[in-house]
Parts: sequence; structure tokens; C-alpha cells
Amino acid sequence: MSHALVPTKLEELWAYIAENPEAMLCAGGTDLLVKIRSRSVTPDCLICLERLDDLKGVRFEAGEIIIGALTTHRELLHDPIVQRDLSILASAVQNLGSPPIRNMGTLGGNIVTASPAGDTLAPLYILKARLKIRSKESSRSVPIESFILGPGKVDLRAGEILSEIAINQDSRFTVNHFEKVGRRNALACSVVSMAALMNIAEDNTISEIRLAWGSVGPTIMRFGDVERLLEGRQLTVRGIEDAIRKVQQSVSPIADTRASADYRRDVAGRLLLRLLSYASSR
Amino acid sequence: MSNRPANIGSTLLRPDALLKVKGEARFSTDFYEKGHVWAGVKRAGRPHAILKNIDYSEAIKLPGVIAVLTHKDVGGTNRQGVIKKDQPVLVEDRIRHCGDAVAIVLSDTRRSMEEAIRAIKLEVEPLPAVTDPRLSLKDDAALVHEKNEDRNILLGGAITVGKGRAAEAECDEIIEATFETQRQEHAYLETENGWARLDDQGRLEIVCSTQTPFRDRSEIAEALGLDLKNVRIIVPYVGGAFGGKDGITVQTLLALSAMHAAGRPVKMWWSREESFIASVKRHPSILRYRLGAKRDGTLHFLDVDITMDTGPYDHLGGVVLALAMEHSGGPYRIPNGVVDGRCVYTNNPISGAFRGFGVTQVSSGIERAMDLLAVKIGMDPLELRLKNALRAGDRNFVGKTLTTSTGITECLETLASHPLWTQRSFWKRNAGILKKRGVGISAIVHGSGYGPIVPDYANAKIELTGEGKFRVYCGVVDMGQGNSTANVQIVSSILNQPANDIELVLPDTERTLPSGSASASRCTYTFGNALISAAKIMKERLCRKAADLMMKKDPQEFSTTPITIRHLPTGSEIPLKVIANMMDSSERIVTAYFRAPVAEDLVTGDYNLRLHGMPHNLFSYAANLACVELDEITGKVTVENYATASDCGNVLNPQLYEQQIQGGAIQGLGLALYEDFVAVEGHVTTKDFSTYLTPTSMDAPDIESIAMGIYETTGPFGSKGIGEIATNGPLPAIANAIFDATGHMLEKSPITPESVLTALTEISKE
Amino acid sequence: MIVSFELNGKDVHVETSSDRRAVDLLREDLGLAGTKESCGNGDCGACSILVDDKARLSCLTLAAQLQGRKVVTIEGVCGEDGRLHPVQKAFIESGALQCGYCTPGMVIAVIDLLNSNPSPSRNEIREAISGNLCRCGAYQKILDAVEEVVKDSKKEAS
Repeated sequence: MSHALVPTKLEELWAYIAENPEAMLCAGGTDLLVKIRSRSVTPDCLICLERLDDLKGVRFEAGEIIIGALTTHRELLHDPIVQRDLSILASAVQNLGSPPIRNMGTLGGNIVTASPAGDTLAPLYILKARLKIRSKESSRSVPIESFILGPGKVDLRAGEILSEIAINQDSRFTVNHFEKVGRRNALACSVVSMAALMNIAEDNTISEIRLAWGSVGPTIMRFGDVERLLEGRQLTVRGIEDAIRKVQQSVSPIADTRASADYRRDVAGRLLLRLLSYASSR
Repeated sequence: MSNRPANIGSTLLRPDALLKVKGEARFSTDFYEKGHVWAGVKRAGRPHAILKNIDYSEAIKLPGVIAVLTHKDVGGTNRQGVIKKDQPVLVEDRIRHCGDAVAIVLSDTRRSMEEAIRAIKLEVEPLPAVTDPRLSLKDDAALVHEKNEDRNILLGGAITVGKGRAAEAECDEIIEATFETQRQEHAYLETENGWARLDDQGRLEIVCSTQTPFRDRSEIAEALGLDLKNVRIIVPYVGGAFGGKDGITVQTLLALSAMHAAGRPVKMWWSREESFIASVKRHPSILRYRLGAKRDGTLHFLDVDITMDTGPYDHLGGVVLALAMEHSGGPYRIPNGVVDGRCVYTNNPISGAFRGFGVTQVSSGIERAMDLLAVKIGMDPLELRLKNALRAGDRNFVGKTLTTSTGITECLETLASHPLWTQRSFWKRNAGILKKRGVGISAIVHGSGYGPIVPDYANAKIELTGEGKFRVYCGVVDMGQGNSTANVQIVSSILNQPANDIELVLPDTERTLPSGSASASRCTYTFGNALISAAKIMKERLCRKAADLMMKKDPQEFSTTPITIRHLPTGSEIPLKVIANMMDSSERIVTAYFRAPVAEDLVTGDYNLRLHGMPHNLFSYAANLACVELDEITGKVTVENYATASDCGNVLNPQLYEQQIQGGAIQGLGLALYEDFVAVEGHVTTKDFSTYLTPTSMDAPDIESIAMGIYETTGPFGSKGIGEIATNGPLPAIANAIFDATGHMLEKSPITPESVLTALTEISKE
Repeated sequence: MIVSFELNGKDVHVETSSDRRAVDLLREDLGLAGTKESCGNGDCGACSILVDDKARLSCLTLAAQLQGRKVVTIEGVCGEDGRLHPVQKAFIESGALQCGYCTPGMVIAVIDLLNSNPSPSRNEIREAISGNLCRCGAYQKILDAVEEVVKDSKKEAS
């Protein structure tokens, strides 16, 4: 690498991008600078985005929660809107990396890194987040699941940046559950994670559920058939056991130094058991 | 620090803490100078090969590059090692592991140095890599050292105790299990580094992070063909070591670099990744245990078979094996049996010294075997241990008669009455939904010092300065464990001087005296004993001087007080500064020597085992208790409570004692649950801190550390070693707790959530 | 480029390349070797510094990113009169260190915590230092030390 640029305004950013079309964008650097150090990427120029204040913060706009892509994880954790309305995202961020990583890393960075183990991704998938992509000339909006194409691959074209994450509060859930299984309690990369949004009827049946898993496939995995199977079922071991099996059949994990593929497969399904703790005690 | 004289047995705050919290403590990493040279190492990158050619033609052309050095530039033997000198400084023709050093680049900047290292091309002819110690023992295995006497065996030996295997038939119950322990990385936060300069007189000065400055000096001189007098090693503050800096890391490479840097200072500082690949590890081991007892629980027979993977070089592998064999029977009377062990060469990363030093491995074997036996006999595991616990005067498993303090019974009794033990059934019943709980214990013995042949000595030196203050020359490195604080405490209390008036000189081969390695739980024992003598001689000398000056007959009537010497009957006194000024500089220095007593018992006729340290004479003991909760969904293990009761003699400084116990236990916890340094076919796959996982603050439970405080008559103020004992406890205590919870004894470490989940799901099937 | 920022209360202007790592800039160019490097990848916290009052990893920060910022390293933690920061004092008294290589980063992490949460629970302290590895295993005494700081500050307030 030969130089780093730190724009403070969007116009400046567009100009830098135009002058350095090969530059890489850095939205916190907790992942990218590690890759540069190991030389798995070797950009000539880095454009650091952290001073683009327009792309920071959390606000309501037209019935949506809008999160600036450069909002750090720490800012998310302290944000009252996130605490109240996006508690599932908050609990994912609570477990992300470590305090200094959360001070530096951003939500947009976590999305564009597109790691299957990205902690915020599973919640964002089931929150049906839409991503606002901007370039100097244009802007477009895409659902997160079509933006993330594979491990480390996203639908971002030359000159484009991820500017905002929009979450529509169309439905409310009483259960906002996120669990990350890591090999230790901090500074851990997820071995499996599961995010769940769920409503439970008075008779203890699952009335509505959305589920997503991390680290068990090339990207976040969702299974419509599992969700359909669970809806209407009793929230009991017997009620969910075939869903557990179905999840275990559907995921496609790999093995690495952290865990075997079999363990990931097994636990991806078993994590549904944790939802039993939300069952009404009657 | 205190402006009062220190008391033995009370906490004296560490004198190094002030500089450390201010960021002013200077480690060897912190040396820079305008215009210094960077030196870096080209690593072999393959586990086993013939090195045919090193092509550095491109590297040498890069801007900033000063020189590329290879084995051809080495003037001496090009060999290093502690016992067996089998490791080349720079590879000549044979690569034996991925981390072998092949060439050195000297450059003006770190960036160009790194680029040049990448530009060096190695021409090699690959050889089959031996990476499984079991296969390494086979007749058709490729040889790691073609000239080694015993194929791939670095050191092997066997000991028969009592009736040997014949006693097996006399047992009522026998259990058998094979345990495997993993490779563990020290992961000190300060990676290997140093700073060196060659002056115009041809003298090398090396500032580096090491546990063994005096031994390093000899190794450097021999490997590079230098005169010992021309090598000086200075050890400032050390950022952790744990055995991993017991011996050469950067030193020889750095010295060689300085010899080619035209007098410019040279800095070498391994990256985390390089440290992981090149540094030594805890030996992976395969431990087969067969333990037999009478129906009433009296241990009668033990058959242990130990195989350790030492990687391609000795480092201290043979010594580790001998200590493992010696401790394989734990702190118990076992009258009969055999122990058979071997340390095997492979093309894996190098294994060597690591806090616990072989005892960690076998403790996990004997202690898991004890719990298996307890269940088989139907006896409480603590009661079984108490019944067989060694007492002074007993012979330990290898036949050494215990002549020093032996407090394992007291440790176990302390646990037996501890609420975590007495209330364990209640605690276990209160596990949450989808959780299971278990409580496990372990009993540990750990020998200290070098064994019967290699002299375990220290030379203490104290100087009365012209200012009338005392300067203590520490011959043993303090890599964080706090032995230099103990040194201040000893001198301050004997000479009755304010602790913050005592000045410490950290190890320096030109100023301090040879005092052995900072290892083997020996630092305060051996150096402390020497220092007590020196301080007493100093006191006597000063009192005599004062008696002469004040024309009093009896020096016994004098005593040192803060800043003066006082005649007690009259109360008249002379300032130390005045006395100091009347003394010649040679009179103001006192030195004293201490050599640790050794075992006289000839437990084995095998001289090689004795040379490698068998048996020891002085042992510390500990009993440990772990309360674990298991998650039935993921298999995750949480250590909810952990308590230790340790016999480390009289405690000199409670805070330092707690630091050692807590720290040792957390490293042991890492071994038990998280840490696994993986090499696949000799290639490291856990390359950094994101894949090699040490415990964070969120993983480390608070540790209760109870000291038995039993006075050891040979120890300095009654103390014994604390450095290693705590590391050995967690793996077996946690495994036994999981056994308690699930009925399954996990035989492999680290204990992964996956293995626990398997154990848990097997119970639900049963 | 010339990077200008406030360093331990003083303005500095230093000629360097924009992509120089902050940890190298501080240690090598500015002579502040109190900040330590241990992993280079953000996995250990040893290189933590305060940037605009928040802990940042200086191994994953580039010189250009410091422009105009307020930077505090371990050398700047003491008061102007050289008096120890309460966290430093408590670390000494509680014996919250052994080798001391993680200590500068730990102190920075704790100061960041206490800035935003002056009376954290033991678990909150645990979490706040969870990005800082200590291989000597001093965690328990670090928690003790921070609890002492909290206790003292409450005493002072009342």
C-alpha cells in the first residue's frame, strides 16, 4: 500500500474514488487491515470512510429505521432506537469481537466483508434489511440477501458504496433471540450462530417465526420450509424436533480449526432448543 | 513500594509495577535508534527436505537491503541446543521443520526486509515428513536425524518399581486408559526479539528477551565461533516467557546479524506468526495408564507408557520426558509398577520447555486414572487420594524417599472441608434448564530444580553504594513472575532497609553473576538462598566495620537500621553513607553462592535419565477443585468455580503467590479447554491469535488460592517453588468434573464443546 | 504527508507516509514505546490507545486517520504534575500485572470503560477488558483493581 485517504465529505469521497479507481474502501479496518497485513489483498490506495458523518447514526424516516453504514458497533449498542427496536441486532453486536473492535468496526463494514461468520448478518437477514447503495451519480436499494453473493463477495460495483441500512418495522416480535456459539466468550469467531424472531400464541404455539443461521454455509442461511413447519407447532421438544432435523439436513457447513462440519451441523439444529426457554410456563 | 523495611510473609508491592503502569518499563522490543538495521529470517516453510540452494540474487538487489546471510557466514559449530546440540542456527542442507531458519536479511527498513525475505527462493528436494510420533517409531519411518543413535528416539528409558508387572495379578481392580494431550503455545505477549551491536573492539552486546542469559552467551559463542568474553547479554524487562524463552530464540541469529552490520545496531523482532512457527511448544503426549488397587482402595500397581513428540530438535525434550516419567505416579504411594517413556523426533514444530514441563501431561494422566479407579472401586475420589497420599518418609513412585516437606495430605484435607466440596451435591442439583453440572478434583506434585547431576546453583551479589544504599545484582531473570520483588524483600528485611531504597540490577552477563535459568520453579529457592547468605554476610561486615570505627568490642551489639548502623546498648549510630565512604569498593561488594541439595537415592541405574534430572529432591504440592457447568445444546463448558490448596512452603509474599497460582491456573485452563496448536503434516494451521485461542477475561473464572504455609527447612525463609504447580491442575480437575457430570471420561485435550456434546448425547441415549 | 494531531496534550506535526501504522509512528518515530505490539491483527489489545477518548487498536490505525484527533497513549495517562491516574495506582496496589506487556493496553481499556461507565459491575469490567489478552493471567487482580477505583471514586463522591 502506498497511501491512505480520509475524506470528510461525500464530494471528497467521490473525487478520491475517481482519482483512485483501484482504491479499496475501509469502513473500520478491523478486517481489511488484517488482510492487507497478511498480503491477501494488496491495494495501492485505501480510502478510510470513518469521517463521513453523513453516513453515521440511527434515525427513523418514513416508518423505517435508517442506520448509517459507518455507524460503529459501539454506537449501535448505545443507541436508544437500536436498544428498543432492534434488540436482536444489539445482542449480536454485544458479542462481536471485543470492545476495541466494536469501537472501530462498523455495521456497513461487517456487511460488505460478507463473512459467513459476520455476527450482524443473521439478524439483518431476518429483519429484512434493505441496503442503500450509492455512487456519485446514482443510488439503488437492494435486500441484504441479494447484496451478499458469497463469502467476501457482494454486489457492489465500481464507484459504489454501501451508505445506509434500512429496516422496516412491518411486524413486531415478542421474541428477539440471537445466539453465537464461539470457542471462547470474547474475541471469538462464530462457529455457528442463530437469529430468531418469533411470536408465540396463548396456547404456546409458534404463530410466526423467522430464522437465520451464520457460519453453516457460504452465506447466511434461511430455510422457508423450516419456518413453515414450525408455525403452528407447539413450542416443546416434540413440537420442534423435526425442524431440528430439517435444519441439520439443510445446512452446508465446512470444517476448520474451530470446529468440524458435523458439529456445526448438529448444533445449528440444536440451537432451536434454546427457544424453548421462551415457552409460556403454563 | 514501601519506605519501610519489608517483612517476609507480607505483601511488598512489586517494584517493577510503577514503571510498567506508566509504560516506562523498557523491554528489549523498545530499543530503537536512528539508522539502526532491521534483521529478519527466511523460514523453511516445509517440514522435511534437502536444501539444495538458496537463491537470494533478487533479494540482495532490493533497495535498502544490506546483506543476506546463510550458514556459510557462520563461523562456529552452527549448532545450538541445551543438552544435545542438534539444531542449526541456519540450515546447511537439511530442513527439519517449517520454522527452520534458512537465511537472514539485513535491511534499512522493516518493509524492505520483509520484501527481501519474500524474494529469497529456496531450491529443495522434499522428503517424506514424519509428523505422527507413533509412526516415527516404526522401522520404515524416515529419519529426522540420520546420525542419531536410536533412529527417531531422542531419549528413552524405563524404570521398574517393586515387583514391576508381576504385581498386576495381585490387584483387585485395574483400570486402563490412553490419554492424549495437545501441543500448547506459550503465547507470551512479547514475541521473541532483541537488539545487538558489535563494537569496534569486536565485542557483541545483545539486549534480548530470554530466561537464560549466561547459557545463551555460551551457546552464541560456540555456534558462531566467538570468544565468550566478547559476548555480553543484557536482559531488561521480559514480556512473559513461561519456558518458551528458556534457551536460544533470536540470540544467535541476532549476534550473527550484528557481525555483518558494520557497527550499526540491529533489531530483530519476530512477528506473532513467525513466533508461532519458529518457537518451541509444550510436548504433545500419548499416555497409556494402567492403574491397579486393592479392594479397599490401596494403590498397588501402575504401568505407564509415555510417548512425547519433541519435534526435530532436543531443545529440552529429554529433560521434559525424564520429569514426566518421574511424576507419572502423581503424589501417591504406589509400590509396584513400570514406567516406560520415549521422546520422539518428528518434523512437527519444536517442543521444549513450557511451565509444567512434562508434569502437566502426566498429571492429567494419573489424575484422570484415579477418578476412573475411584468409580470402579466405588470410592469417593477425594478419599481415594487421601488414602494413598504421600507423606514425608514415603517413597514416591520412582522410589525417591521424601526428605523434604510433603503437604499433599494437608492440601487434600483443605479441599475436603471446603464448601465447594461439601456442598457439591446441592450445587449440582441446581443446574439450569438444559445444563448439567459436575465437580472434579486433581492432586498434583511438582519437583523443582535440575535433579541430581546438573548443578542447580546461584551466585548472589549485593553492593553497598557510595550513597549508603544497597544494590542487588539479580542473576536470575524475572520474566514477570516477580522473583526480583522477592529479592528486594529478602535484602530489605535482613538488612532492615526501606524497600524502595533497594536498587535492582537486572541480569547482565557483565554485571550480575551466573545463577542458572529462570525455570524449574527454582528462581527464588536457589537465588533466594544465595541472597540470604549474601545479605547476612553484608550485615555482619557492616556491623564489624561499625564496631571498629566506634571502638566497641562486640559486633553482635550492632544492627542495621534504615540508613544507619546502630550500637544497640548505647543507641549511638553511624550513617551507612559514612561507612560506605570509608570502605574500598571491593569491600562494599558481597557475593555468596548456593547450590541446591540433591537426592542421594539412586532410583535408576540409567545415567542418562539421571543426567536429565531424575530424581528431584524438593517438591511442591497442590489439590485443585473445579466446578463446571455444561451446556446440553452446544457442549460448551463453563468453569463456574475453581479453588486450589497449595503446599509451596512458607509464602514470602501473598500477592506474588496469588499471581502465580491464578496465572498458572488460567494457563492450565487454556490447555484444558481452548488451546490447541495444530500442525497438519508439519504445517501450522493455527497461525495467529484468532485461531490459537488463549483465555480472555470472559473465560477465566476467579481462582481461590489457599496456601498451606508449611515451612520447608531447606527453603529461603521456608519457601518452595510456586511457578509451575498451578498449571498442572486444571486439565485433570476439569476432565474429572465433566466425568462427574456425564459419566464419560474425556481422554483428549483440549476438551472441545464437540467432545462434551458427544459425551452428553451418549448419556441421553443410555 | 504531515500528520497533525494532539498527542498526550501537546500538538504534534510529523512527516510520515499516510499509510504508516499508528503503532509504528508512535513507537519508532515519536519515541513512545509504552504502547506495545503483540499480534498486529487486533486480536490482543496490547497496542490500544485512546483516540478522541475511545480505545482504538493502533496496529489497525493508519497515520492519516490520526489527523486532527486527540490521542492519548500510556505515557499521557498520568496527570500533568506526574501524578498517577487512579487506574494506574490501583493496578500497582492490587498487583494487577506480572510481566507488564499487556498493562499499557489494559490501562487504556479501563480508562475508556470508566469514562463511559463510572461504576461498572465486576462483569462489566470483565467485558470491558475482554479485548485485551493477558497471558500471565492477571485478569482477576485487574478486576480487583478496577473495583477498587470504583469504590474509591464513590467514597470521594459521597
